[in-house]
Amino acid sequence: MPTAAPAKITCQQLYKIFGKHPQRIQAALQAGATKQEVLQQTGHVVAVKDVSFTVRQGETFVVMGLSGSGKSTLVRCLTRLIEPTSGRVLLDGEDILTMDEARLRQLRRHKMSMVFQHFGLFPHRRVIDNVAYGLETQGMDKRQRLARAQEALELVGLKGWHDHFPGELSGGMQQRVGLARALAVDPEILIFDEPFSALDPLIRREMQDELIKLQEIMHKTLIFITHDFLEAIKLADYLAIMKDGEIVQMGPPQQVVLHPVNEYVCEFTEDVPRSHVVTAAAIMRPPLPEDGAAYLPAVPPDVTLQALVPIAAERDARIAVRGQEGDLLGIVDRRGLMLALAGLELT
Amino acid sequence: MAALAPARSLTLSPRWVRWRWPLIAAGLLALALLLRALPWDTTTWPEAWDLHLRRPIDAFRYWVIGHRNTHWLWLWFFDPLSAAIDWSIRRIEQALLATPWPLLVGGVALLGHRLGRWRLAWLSGGCLLLMGMMGLWAQSLQTLALMVVSVGIALQFGIPLGIWAARSPRVDAFLRPILDAMQTMPAFVYLIPVLLFFGIARVPSVIATVIYALPPAIRLTTLGIRQVSPATVEAARAFGSTPRQLLFKVQLPLAMPTIMAGVNQTIMMALGIVVIAALIGAGGLGREVLVGLQRLRVGQAFEAGLAIVFMAVLLDRLSLALSHLSIAKRRHAPADLGRWAGLQARCPLPLRRHGYLLAFLLLLAGVYAVHATLTDLRVFPAWLRLPLAAPIDAAVRWARDHLYEIGNSGLGAGPFSDFLTLHVLTPLRTLFTATLPWPAMILAVAALAAHAGGWRLGLAAALGMLAMGWLSMWNHSMDTLSQTIVAVALAIFIALPLGVLAAKSDRFELLLRPLLDFLQTIPPFVYLVPVIMLFNVGRVPGIIASVLYALPPAIRLTNLGIRRVDREILEAARAFGSTPAQILFKVELPLAMPSIMMGINQTVMMVLAMVIIAGLVGGGGLGLEAVIGLAKNETGRGVEAGLAIVIMAMIFDRITQGWAGRWRIARGS
Ligand SMILES: Nc1ncnc2c1ncn2[C@@H]1O[C@H](COP(=O)(O)OP(=O)(O)O)[C@@H](O)[C@H]1O
Ligand SMILES: [Mg+2]
Repeated sequence: MPTAAPAKITCQQLYKIFGKHPQRIQAALQAGATKQEVLQQTGHVVAVKDVSFTVRQGETFVVMGLSGSGKSTLVRCLTRLIEPTSGRVLLDGEDILTMDEARLRQLRRHKMSMVFQHFGLFPHRRVIDNVAYGLETQGMDKRQRLARAQEALELVGLKGWHDHFPGELSGGMQQRVGLARALAVDPEILIFDEPFSALDPLIRREMQDELIKLQEIMHKTLIFITHDFLEAIKLADYLAIMKDGEIVQMGPPQQVVLHPVNEYVCEFTEDVPRSHVVTAAAIMRPPLPEDGAAYLPAVPPDVTLQALVPIAAERDARIAVRGQEGDLLGIVDRRGLMLALAGLELT
Repeated sequence: MAALAPARSLTLSPRWVRWRWPLIAAGLLALALLLRALPWDTTTWPEAWDLHLRRPIDAFRYWVIGHRNTHWLWLWFFDPLSAAIDWSIRRIEQALLATPWPLLVGGVALLGHRLGRWRLAWLSGGCLLLMGMMGLWAQSLQTLALMVVSVGIALQFGIPLGIWAARSPRVDAFLRPILDAMQTMPAFVYLIPVLLFFGIARVPSVIATVIYALPPAIRLTTLGIRQVSPATVEAARAFGSTPRQLLFKVQLPLAMPTIMAGVNQTIMMALGIVVIAALIGAGGLGREVLVGLQRLRVGQAFEAGLAIVFMAVLLDRLSLALSHLSIAKRRHAPADLGRWAGLQARCPLPLRRHGYLLAFLLLLAGVYAVHATLTDLRVFPAWLRLPLAAPIDAAVRWARDHLYEIGNSGLGAGPFSDFLTLHVLTPLRTLFTATLPWPAMILAVAALAAHAGGWRLGLAAALGMLAMGWLSMWNHSMDTLSQTIVAVALAIFIALPLGVLAAKSDRFELLLRPLLDFLQTIPPFVYLVPVIMLFNVGRVPGIIASVLYALPPAIRLTNLGIRRVDREILEAARAFGSTPAQILFKVELPLAMPSIMMGINQTVMMVLAMVIIAGLVGGGGLGLEAVIGLAKNETGRGVEAGLAIVIMAMIFDRITQGWAGRWRIARGS
């Protein structure tokens, strides 16, 4: 489904270098200098280096990387909260980097909203006025915007809290306000910069689940930053992994888990329980006539090992994988299942 | 590679580098001895070098006096400006004086209630009432009118400038050194030129007050806006705010508490020079203090001083409450006037919402009813007068008789004063003016400056010292320097232990805090009154008053520095078995050093700010020169002395700040 959708936002050869002479440094980078060398010799920080990607309409694009790898800078370049050094950012085919201030503001007001790691709420405004802020900058009249804000608050489960001040709310609730504020303007793209990192694990999980549920209704384009790999694979339709300002690997989450390109990515994937990631589609083999597929239990292709194993344990371990129209895609058998559980490649 | 570099420089630095400063000190001493051995006089500044700046200044003054009535600059700029200011003071003063006193007291109390409930209502109403009871109702209102106009002008310029500086780095870079200079400059210094340009009645004092009170208004506005968390600003930008929306919807509201603190400081600064402004005709309470002091009518001066304190407390607490209000306005609770009447719950909504308006209207009606029928309420009644002057004069006489010298014990204020004068102040002054050759003095100060802030500062300090000589103020400057050193030493000697004690004992801190608050609320001049009672005129009362003035920040910053030391570090120290004394001297004090150095810096600056006040009560030195310049219209002389004070303040400000900076870097914080 996501692959068929049109490109919503495309980022081409984006660079961001902090320091006095970014252009010069960029030339050096293109000539092969590394981030560390640049930092030591010139004091410039290479935050984003030659990043290109495409996010499709309705897709959840997750950027993952250790802290300092340039994720925040990257997403801020998308709305020019940070001015990129060079590159192109296309929103529905229009280059954001050439827009003037007014056009850019319109974009921020109507099309792209952001949720921040430390919430970024306005401490001097009531919850409802926080949520209505985006509408207020648009110039919407008071009655209308408060009504819209109220709806957004209800959506995130904060009905009745409108008159409180952010300081009176728990961290989880504050981030719900942040989410409601971003949703209230009904943007096309939602950008999350580590929105749940400041929350404790239980609340974090709860918020993740709710975001997934919301996304099922909203079908918005989400760009989600995290340094938590489990969170990344839980939410991602498409995953990019950053290191030192570069994207080192990009692909659907399970592909990243199953085929990490280097040590850096490996280290993240190691701790991931494979049964959570590997799907039937990844371990199935082509069907054979002797399988008698019609009599086998059937599952959709995106079912994970976690769900496959109990089914296999009941039967003789062969399961048919079928598409939405019931068409037979492949067969998961004992060999594939056991190899996958052992973490070995299917050959 | 990089990690090795500092180690190498440590091991390879030649030994002389470590002994550099002791060597320089020894060299200076040798130089001094050498110079003294020379056949000609090296201890008095060569008079031939004087620049005689006072001549052109006095000439300019005469030119101004001659052309004030005809020149376009006055006709089209200074005079209309003066007239406008004078007009507004007059109007406000007349309005205040025409208002029945119970209405003012009640109105202020209502305002107090709105801002801080009953406590503040009683406090503010009481303060105003007490000013009347001192028999100083009219003078108090005059001073209040002056304050309103000065503070109003200061805020009107200060807040927009502060906003501008917060938003434009270039404006900030331009304003910063000017504000620095304004804040290092003791208040009087600009009285002289101001007096020249704005001739009319109380206008010069308004202008001087505005100049004096402007820096905190600008600074704190800028600070408040800068302090708004970048994350909040980013969020606002991310939602497409225009710069205007960002300013008015996010930055200004969040900066409000700090801006209000700036308003508070502006008011307090303005009140701080009320007495000084009286020197150039401000009238009001300041004049009462001044006249009392000059005629040694201590009772009268004390009453006026008390009235200033009441005014300070009133304005301080009201404006502080205003700054808290802007933080706490999130809960706009309805007036609890109703609760007092026992009708909170039943009280109808309009009454609850417009309680203050209603109460005020009632007050208005009542007061005017009495005013119209019974008695003229514009005059503060004589029967409410607290007869304070007589008992105070008696107390002063008693104190002079009994505390000046306690029995024949050789103790008491008088012997202390004599001791300080004979054994500390005079020898130090002799050392600076008659014993040490002046080139050695200059080089010594330059060496201190170089130690604090590098050779550039050293050079600047040397030039500054030379300039004092060129201004023909060498001896006066050295006199003032000796007094300043003694005052600073005394202040630190008292403040450090108190600060440590306050940091160690919560109870002591709690005890100390209101006292410090009080000391900081009182305008500096007021200390002089009791101090003179005890110590007579001379150099000592000035020093004591300076010490009192400078104590609070030094104590506060010491306390703060120690309290801020990371708890984990203290636990580590304890875990290694340190005794409390070891913890204090090896851990807490070194870590608190940047803060303590800031305290010392503040002490130096505050002592220097008191120099002129000290000059008024017989302190001599630069202060006296400035006072003479003011009082006898010797503008040139006054300007020379003022410039010398500014130069001295700048030199010692930079030196102490340099040391504070070094500590901060050494601590890596
Ligand atoms: N304003 C800035 N000036 C200089 N360096 C910066 C600035 N902002 C971020 N950096 C540097 O850019 C790099 C990437 O930072 P960031 O994008 O915040 O990483 P992440 O969000 O992945 O933790 C870091 O090395 C950081 O120190
Ligand atoms: Mg980040």
